[in-house]
Amino acid sequence: MGSALREALQMILSGSSLLGNIVVVTLRMSLASSLIALAAGVPLGVLYGSASFPGRKILLILNRTFMGFPPVVCGLLCYLMFSGVGPLRGLKLLYTVEGMIVAQVLLLIPIAAGMTESSVEAIAPAVKETCRGMGLNRRRTLTLIIRESRYQIVTIYILALGRALAEVGAVSIVGGAIAYKTNVMTTAIMNDTGSGDFKTALALGIILFLLYLVLTILSSALQGRMKR
Amino acid sequence: MKENKMKRVMAFLMAGLLAAGVCACGSSAADSSASSAASAAASKPQSTVSAAGSSAAVLAESSAVSEAISAAESQTVSEAAGGVGSVGIQILYEKDDDMKNTYSLEAVNPDAPFKDADSNPVDGVAINSEGAKALIHWLTSEEGEKLGASYGKEKFGESLFTVLEKAPVYKGEIAKAEEGTKTIRLSTTTSVNDSGLLDYLLPVFEKEYGYDVEVASAGTGKAIAAAEAGNADLILVHSKKQEEAFIEAGYSMKLDGYDAERISFMYNYFVLCGPSDDPAKVREAATVKDAFKKIADGKYPFVSRGDKSGTHSKEVTLWPEDLGITTDQESIANYTDWYNYSNAGMGACLMMANEKNAYILSDKATFLTFVANEGNVES
Repeated sequence: MGSALREALQMILSGSSLLGNIVVVTLRMSLASSLIALAAGVPLGVLYGSASFPGRKILLILNRTFMGFPPVVCGLLCYLMFSGVGPLRGLKLLYTVEGMIVAQVLLLIPIAAGMTESSVEAIAPAVKETCRGMGLNRRRTLTLIIRESRYQIVTIYILALGRALAEVGAVSIVGGAIAYKTNVMTTAIMNDTGSGDFKTALALGIILFLLYLVLTILSSALQGRMKR
Repeated sequence: MKENKMKRVMAFLMAGLLAAGVCACGSSAADSSASSAASAAASKPQSTVSAAGSSAAVLAESSAVSEAISAAESQTVSEAAGGVGSVGIQILYEKDDDMKNTYSLEAVNPDAPFKDADSNPVDGVAINSEGAKALIHWLTSEEGEKLGASYGKEKFGESLFTVLEKAPVYKGEIAKAEEGTKTIRLSTTTSVNDSGLLDYLLPVFEKEYGYDVEVASAGTGKAIAAAEAGNADLILVHSKKQEEAFIEAGYSMKLDGYDAERISFMYNYFVLCGPSDDPAKVREAATVKDAFKKIADGKYPFVSRGDKSGTHSKEVTLWPEDLGITTDQESIANYTDWYNYSNAGMGACLMMANEKNAYILSDKATFLTFVANEGNVES
């Protein structure tokens, strides 16, 4: 382990183009997918948590089921869609970062929506009552609900980002782990383990952990400022 | 706060990047990443293995292996418990004709009977035949074959691949990349990719002819399946039986100037590895089949890839026929006490064999990488 840590540091410091590319692709994919999922999932979660409409309970159950949707199955479905013989082959998304983002967004939206729902649910009645008292319209009420949940939303974002960074099943199937193109940290670790290069795999694992640590510190700093 | 601003800037950047990516919907985004990939690939990444090159050269001599390993073992007994143990397995048997491992190229036929997941025929599958042709031409050209045969000398002290005597030599013109033929999708096996051969060869080809080769690697079975799903322009694999089925089904096309669809051009040898004390005494076996019989008779632990890869396909041909071992999982139901059907990559299986003191069939390149890396972890 000690030498693996040294190796990891050497890899980072040597600025190898291969490692740099893996980190860039990983960041591009996970930041994009988590942000899109947040942008789509939070409004959905606010809707689930604050509005009442027919079918809400069923939607909620479905959403919660999809929160636990196996990534490999999601990857498989995307593969079948985007594959050279699949119905969406015209989009040319197989073996691209964009395709990986699509698969991850599909996985992350239910998580972002479900988590938002549970935090909105807790505050929605009180906020709604206050807004009604102040004579605010629907839009202002929803905005206020989101504002009030912003602390939780950052936590949800950290969770979604962590999931996107750590995910391997869907991205390896959709991305194909092509060197310099769709190889991310997790698939690179899989490949290095498969080829017996445990040292590089460990080094990548350490870097992945540090990357998430940095992103979490940044997000937490943002959260800390919100609180004040 | 500074971090806060950074975070915002990063978020904006990513959002912008993504919007551009989504608008371009793949193609143009793929181009831009392709050009960066080409330039990055041109700089030819030095593998981290090179540091251990000298020790690997020593280890390649099988007589020296046991000495080196026992020395390594005695130094690192305490670390072995930490998971990444020292290498206790070594090459026990190699260079039998039955262990010859022939690599072949096949160009995917654009008019192949492609089927979707429901077995309905699919038309208009995009295959870059021109690109596939150019890569096959180059790999079988004098330059390509010479370069391929030299691979491994620097890293492991010996060539890992040999050009077949009967390999075709292409002497004609090789087409340069054009707008629509730039990206070549090569579906290959993990053993080829893991050996580092393609990292060694492809940058030369890409630089000279302007192509961008995307390499997807999986076990031979999966590599062929990807081609059958229209996700590859050519395949580079090592399992004759599976290749013949692929050609039989019409997925490959014959190129002008070559005798057949299956273009065999290089080979190396599989190696039978196992614990250095060799309880099954395979070192004394007359043939590799005899060695496998000894393992089966004594029920010594054996780790199989179990993933329908080329290595797996080869392995099942080496067992005594009356055992009835095939690549199907059910066929080993009666041998689970010693036969481990693991469904994993070569490196992971070597790790498993090392832990269990088991026998294993490996391609030589991956085994040498495995030994080289383990040696380095312990040092």
